[in-house]
Amino acid sequence: MKMRKILLRLPGEVVLSDHSILVLTVLYFLLIWAIYPHMAGRRNLANLFSNVWPLLALVIGQMFVLIVGGIDLSQTSIMAVTSVLGAMVMATRFDPAKFQHNPLWDIVFSEQGGWLAGSAGAVPAAIVFMLAVGIAIGFLNGLAVAKLRMPPFMVTLVGMSFFSGLAIYLTRSENIMHLPDRFIAVGKGAVGPVPSALLIVVSLTVIAFVILNRSVLGRWFYAVGQNIRTARVSGIPTERVIILAYIFSGFCAAVGSILYSARLEAGRPTLGRNLLLDVIGAAVIGSISLFGGKGKVLWAVYGVLFFVVLDNSLNKMPLEFYSIDIIKGCVILMAALLDALRTRIGANQLIPAAGG
Amino acid sequence: MKNAKRFILMVLFGLVVFVPGGCSRKDKQSAQITICFAFQDLETEYWVAAHKAITETLRAQNIKVLERNAHQDANRQLEQIRDAIAQEVDGIIMIPQDGESAVTIIGEANKAGIPIGVFNRPPADRSKPALVVVADNERIAEEAVAYMAKAARKLNRKMTPLILVGDLGDQNSIERKSGFYNAVDAHPDLFKKPIEVPTKWDATTTLANLEAALQVEPGVDFLFTSSDFLYPQVKAVLEPLGKWKPIGDADHVILGGLDGDSTAYKLMKEGYVDATGVQDLFFEADAIMDALLEAIEKGQSTPEKWIQDPGFALTQENMAEREMDMWGCRILKDAEAGIEK
Amino acid sequence: MTEWALEINGISKSFFGVRALSDVSLCVHAGKTLGLIGENGAGKSTLMNVLGGVMPPDEGTMRLFDEDYCPTCPADATRAGIAFIHQELNLFGNLSIADNLFIDGFPHIHKSPFIDKRSTHRQAEELLTSVDLQIPPKTPIERLAPGEKQLVEIAKAMRRKSRIIIFDEPTTSLTATERSRLFAIIQRLQDQGQTIIYISHTLEDVLQVSDAITVLRDGRLVSAGPCSDYSVNRMISDMVGRKIEQMYPARDTHPETTSVLEVQGLSQPGIVRDISFKLQKKEVLGLFGLMGAGRSELVRIIFGLDPFRAGRIRIEETDIAKPSSAASIRHGLAFVTENRREEGLLMEASVLENLDLLTLKRFAKLGPVGLIDWITTSKGAHQISKRLNIKSGPIRKHRAKNLSGGNQQKVVIGKWLLTDPSVLILDEPTRGIDVGAKYEIYRIINRLAKEGAGILYISSELEELMGMCDRILVMSNGRLKAEFFRGDYDQEAILQAAFSASDRPANSDGMN
Repeated sequence: MKMRKILLRLPGEVVLSDHSILVLTVLYFLLIWAIYPHMAGRRNLANLFSNVWPLLALVIGQMFVLIVGGIDLSQTSIMAVTSVLGAMVMATRFDPAKFQHNPLWDIVFSEQGGWLAGSAGAVPAAIVFMLAVGIAIGFLNGLAVAKLRMPPFMVTLVGMSFFSGLAIYLTRSENIMHLPDRFIAVGKGAVGPVPSALLIVVSLTVIAFVILNRSVLGRWFYAVGQNIRTARVSGIPTERVIILAYIFSGFCAAVGSILYSARLEAGRPTLGRNLLLDVIGAAVIGSISLFGGKGKVLWAVYGVLFFVVLDNSLNKMPLEFYSIDIIKGCVILMAALLDALRTRIGANQLIPAAGG
Repeated sequence: MKNAKRFILMVLFGLVVFVPGGCSRKDKQSAQITICFAFQDLETEYWVAAHKAITETLRAQNIKVLERNAHQDANRQLEQIRDAIAQEVDGIIMIPQDGESAVTIIGEANKAGIPIGVFNRPPADRSKPALVVVADNERIAEEAVAYMAKAARKLNRKMTPLILVGDLGDQNSIERKSGFYNAVDAHPDLFKKPIEVPTKWDATTTLANLEAALQVEPGVDFLFTSSDFLYPQVKAVLEPLGKWKPIGDADHVILGGLDGDSTAYKLMKEGYVDATGVQDLFFEADAIMDALLEAIEKGQSTPEKWIQDPGFALTQENMAEREMDMWGCRILKDAEAGIEK
Repeated sequence: MTEWALEINGISKSFFGVRALSDVSLCVHAGKTLGLIGENGAGKSTLMNVLGGVMPPDEGTMRLFDEDYCPTCPADATRAGIAFIHQELNLFGNLSIADNLFIDGFPHIHKSPFIDKRSTHRQAEELLTSVDLQIPPKTPIERLAPGEKQLVEIAKAMRRKSRIIIFDEPTTSLTATERSRLFAIIQRLQDQGQTIIYISHTLEDVLQVSDAITVLRDGRLVSAGPCSDYSVNRMISDMVGRKIEQMYPARDTHPETTSVLEVQGLSQPGIVRDISFKLQKKEVLGLFGLMGAGRSELVRIIFGLDPFRAGRIRIEETDIAKPSSAASIRHGLAFVTENRREEGLLMEASVLENLDLLTLKRFAKLGPVGLIDWITTSKGAHQISKRLNIKSGPIRKHRAKNLSGGNQQKVVIGKWLLTDPSVLILDEPTRGIDVGAKYEIYRIINRLAKEGAGILYISSELEELMGMCDRILVMSNGRLKAEFFRGDYDQEAILQAAFSASDRPANSDGMN
């Protein structure tokens, strides 16, 4: 009788455990490998992981905002606008035919290149500038949500509209090519055998981990997301905490922008346009709750891994193009359902609150 | 403890990436060639026809075709082509989202030593070697508009010309505009200053902007559209103004376009359109496929060619002899034949 | 006509190895009222959950009016004729009374799918009359007072012709008038032969309405018998397992003259007017008043959560220029709010995470960006958990929402105690908590006062204040009306002051 109970509990325990998504990912990977042998080939794995890093950067940023009970829909437009602004600082050449009629022609950039083109500090300056813009936009988002008490969905939706429109306006829909090699190396290069993108994003992940799990600020993020009123009574500066979450999200979006821009070797005003579903989807798959108060760095990693493996596998199958979106949508729905189920199973096994 | 586990896992995954000779098994059976055809949605008739022409021709030659639709997302196309490279395809045919991403992707193919062909939308520069097939948009446009000017001469009045300009991020649009101006500037006495209406290659934008333009200048009687797929919008604007009249009518607006789709053919047959520049789709498709297959055969890893499709202008004058050269006409006739059967 | 309405035999239930119920057997006579009492954690709620089909028992059986009764879901219980009148009411706020009454079965027009509105209205009126509620059935529920909502629930139970009605802590949010009305209805139900189970912490009430009494303690049934066998004292000692000589522990310290909190001329239009008082070291100062007098609002202003137009706040001789919760905490203020679920706890977090919430910053180097000093904060939390006798699983894992009410309150108090406050403000700290836990909290308060803190104690139970406080201030309509000293407590006078409507303070001597 007891043995049976233990055995019956086992799959439940796996489902409830923290690592369920990783297990699922590995199982799925093995399944696909059986069908498409080159799935585990070196080249494919390299591709797969190079797709993981930029997405992971974004999801980590989004996670902070989700934990405090908000959402950041403007991440993709932060990517676009920082991509474009960074390129304007460091690009080495601008094609007059395309940019002559640009409002910033000869003011910020000219045929000879961007604002700091050619100088040794162009690339670091551009990178710093991009991160600063990401932080600034995040700050504005956080301010509107925390101080003006506007709903995060609306604030960041408006932000998304505005900043992607701004990016297109600044470049008149043109992509800015001729980025310096040193910048491209940041996204595509390697330090020894290790891809630089890996270094950047893993560092970001570690920092996020330390903040969330080991610092006071991390506990404050969770407290604000779980019950903002209790947090206020407990003297936590809730407004500052919320603003910080959005700043971090903007910062991570800028990091993502650096990696994606380097990948595509251009400043693009349409960068990241279709990524939002991937970011939110990976977060949900990783069981980061859309209601706030719940989320772990580990889950973000697992969620992104699963998502990228799924994407990679779908790319191999001979599917009609709309099928990919349908499948992705179904998977995300399953993940949300599974999460709800986990919460219910967990609740039934615990002592209910006694009256009073 | 949990966190240590996670780091170990990440390191493991990383190692798998770097350990040489991973677990790839070469899956090359016989000498069947695999080509990846990466495109961007199939929005207009031209792309649908091109897609059909390329995939059917290749498959007919017993070539395996991996089709990838990037949905107008440059990053997605990059990922798809990287994936194709990882699958060690023999060659790639690409329709890029824009000239800039084309250059980047060509670079990836070059690095991997896989020959790559670019169809119809040229890369922003020629810094990296690739097989490129483009239509000589400028010449084709000029030829079409020159015929339209000839027709205008007969009317003995000064014309008010208008051009629907395509998305200026697209090299083809710029060339078509140049061709238009070449023909118009050759007859300075015939034309007033042309009105430019931006369309961004979008039907809704076209409708709105064209309507506005005609409100400002209702006397437009000479109209060139940079792409045939906008003819329905032109009709929608001209018809309520009583300006949608066939040739011979006093209110006929001299009309011309470029591409050569079936709509243009029908409208020419009905007499509404005077001339249409034709991209020779079948020539272009054949050219890219031939060049790529030749490069594959010769074992070239970074072949470079720039093939220009001279195209031609189908006019009311030469319609009888040359209509079967227009791919839009051929598609229409094939469909009709199919229905009759 | 059977003798037994409900027979429960040998019910046991465990959660994660913790026994909530052990072999509980009890019977309810048909047409009689059973009073069920016990501390929180004694198992009353678990027993009710089993009865109501929320969860199955591990062992044991139940019989309802001589038939086997094994519900698998709450709907089964409802169908079998069991109705619960809970503390948290299950009414739809935006719908009308009539809609709520008939939500699970509207009368139809002649078997058509259309609702017979007139019949609904008429029947609703009849039901409302039977519970003495003179409110039009069209009124939306959200406009009703808690007491009136409760009567609607009762009416709903009557409509369903429930065979057993179970009242679970019905009087907690009621005013005095509403309470009497409730008892009148219960009397009427009893006259009609309704079987009732009455659960409450207000032992006098239980004695008043019940025919028989059953006492649970630690998951077991420890005593049962006719009501005549019981007195409040016996009920308490059976519940707690020991004799409690007195309700309130003895105080052996006296307030000192130094003031720890001083409020001068505090005003916020519409909320409080010209409040001035001093709280002394080692003093327990009570704040009494009717609901709506402004007591909670006052302390929220003092703590810095709400703004004020005029006045001064001084903590230990320091003027607080910009009051905020963070500033108050910095100066040694602690505030246990009246709503622990909404503002006192992080329900989803663990007990440990709740306890150390306020000490994190203090023990981290580099402030908020600093790393948490696990060892120190964890030790503090474990110590306070032991000291306050918080009954819970391992505090690192156990979620706050899974504690009983009394233990939850202890967690909130413990969280604040860890800040070593010089002023502790408590707003209704023992509301809805069983006798045993109450006594423990009283002892904690006394000890705190002895150790030098000043306590500001808000309560609606005058007896509690009279038992615990050195001084009682009375508020009414946002103003301080009177002040009473220990030794001179006069229940009638205090109540009169609380009810006084005039603007001038009734008692003009001794106000600081």
